[in-house]
Amino acid sequence: MKKVEVTLISGRTSQQGSGLEVGKTSDEYFNSTSYVELSAEDAEALDLEDGLPVEVNTDHGSVVVTGRVSKELDSGLAFFPYGPWANRVFGSTTEGTGMPAYKGIRASLCDARDAKVKTLTELVEEMGGKGL
Amino acid sequence: MTVHTDVVCPFCGCLCDDLEITVEGNEITGTKNACAISRSKFMNHGKNRLESPIVDGKEASVEETIEEAAKVLANAKRPLVYGLSSTECEAIGRAVELAEVCGGVVDNTSSVCHGPTILALQQVGESKTTLGEVKNRADLVIFWGSNPTEAHLRHILRYSVMPKGMYVPEGRKGRYIVTVDVRDTRMKRLSDQFLKIQPGGDFELLSALRAAVRGSRIQAESVSGVPMEEIVELARRMKAAKMGIVFFGLGLTQSDGRHMNIDAAVGLVAELNHHTKFLLTPMRGHYNVAGANSVTAWQTGYPYAVDFARGYPRYNPGEYTAVDLLASGEADAAVIVASDPGATFPVDAASRLARIPTITLDQKVTPTTMLSRVVIPVATAGVECEGTAYRMDGVPIRLKRLVKPHAGALTDAEVLVRMIERVRELRGEA
Repeated sequence: MKKVEVTLISGRTSQQGSGLEVGKTSDEYFNSTSYVELSAEDAEALDLEDGLPVEVNTDHGSVVVTGRVSKELDSGLAFFPYGPWANRVFGSTTEGTGMPAYKGIRASLCDARDAKVKTLTELVEEMGGKGL
Repeated sequence: MTVHTDVVCPFCGCLCDDLEITVEGNEITGTKNACAISRSKFMNHGKNRLESPIVDGKEASVEETIEEAAKVLANAKRPLVYGLSSTECEAIGRAVELAEVCGGVVDNTSSVCHGPTILALQQVGESKTTLGEVKNRADLVIFWGSNPTEAHLRHILRYSVMPKGMYVPEGRKGRYIVTVDVRDTRMKRLSDQFLKIQPGGDFELLSALRAAVRGSRIQAESVSGVPMEEIVELARRMKAAKMGIVFFGLGLTQSDGRHMNIDAAVGLVAELNHHTKFLLTPMRGHYNVAGANSVTAWQTGYPYAVDFARGYPRYNPGEYTAVDLLASGEADAAVIVASDPGATFPVDAASRLARIPTITLDQKVTPTTMLSRVVIPVATAGVECEGTAYRMDGVPIRLKRLVKPHAGALTDAEVLVRMIERVRELRGEA
């Protein structure tokens, strides 16, 4: 399976901010947080079209999300909006500061076009929650 | 129909205070001057609300939830009280009191945003200013690892880029705007100079800029991906500014180096003050995270990560911070107020909330409420109840009440006061 190595950063987007105010269970929140942005070069290396599922893997975990091609990113850099999908692949080590490394971790992306992006309820149930 | 003027937006650290909100009956029907996120907050505040208090997945009365919460906290050995940055200051004060009564730990969301900033500023100090002074005087504005076009949408309109100020009468034309980031955000198009930095290269670039300001020669063609001539030119421009400011974001605090990046930024600004007036301000995210730090500091002496286990406050980020306490399995109960660590913490820390009795005060259904044993619906500060919040520059602003609380919900402070009273009774301290 084709894969590319990237540096992964997470961050706020205005859509994510607006979506969380509609509600974490809303379609707006799902659509604004369950994707990863990658460069056009990396998407081409994966033979991945915009909007297809991609699997993100790090030392801390993996998650399938929608892949979006972004002109803002250079090859080797990927962006994940803050949220529960992103937090499947970030670790809780804080190096004695209280702050996890939410930006700048190594990750690999691979084609997952046959996989499904999990819903928020599915993610929370995997964490031991009771769902809605 | 009532049109409320000078309404304060309770979303981000800008605390914009010029909104007009239209209310018909008990429903918000219109906004003016609000950014996209603010408009979403006001117009959707009634959607996806928690309709009832919950204990163990079943509907309960408020009294039953407080009784259950108090029993959990009275018997807990290491309870964590966390969140607080999206509520008003009275509630924050009560949350600190609850942690003290329980002999627990109180932490706020700054531990996962500008906690490293605080760590650095406690070591090396801070050149502070208000956003009003920036608007009226700053002619060089640097955004470093922050993207206001996504996170603080009206910052550039009201304070830092576009507005006409007393000594910047031309507005945008009178300012030189610089952005430092790892990707080509919309800020690139708004800026006069854009420095694309390699991820994790902030400390080196800040140090190189400081050296250039001092006039030192650096034997390198580039630093962190930025050509040396651009570094030297920016250093020259910084020294020539009448007043400069660095607005920095989580690009510095969440990357390698964390607090050391801020230490380097303060060092650069201190160096520049030998030549001109230069300042720095963290771009605070949640609207009252600055208030959470202020209230916790004036009550305990420390701004976050405060442990009361010995009966007096102790401070140690990295040990008494929420992610560490949850990931290590040390916390045996949690009270979450105005925050959603179930969505914002790495999964191994967040999932701990499902394995311990977690009590959550919130307005809406969130991953954290879904992980909680006790859920108490509360009123939204700044929409359904009044209160005080601290803007990113430390200016306190009074929030307004616009509508009645959804389904008669109590405020965060009211719930916490009742919880404190009942915990005291159960511990025989009332």
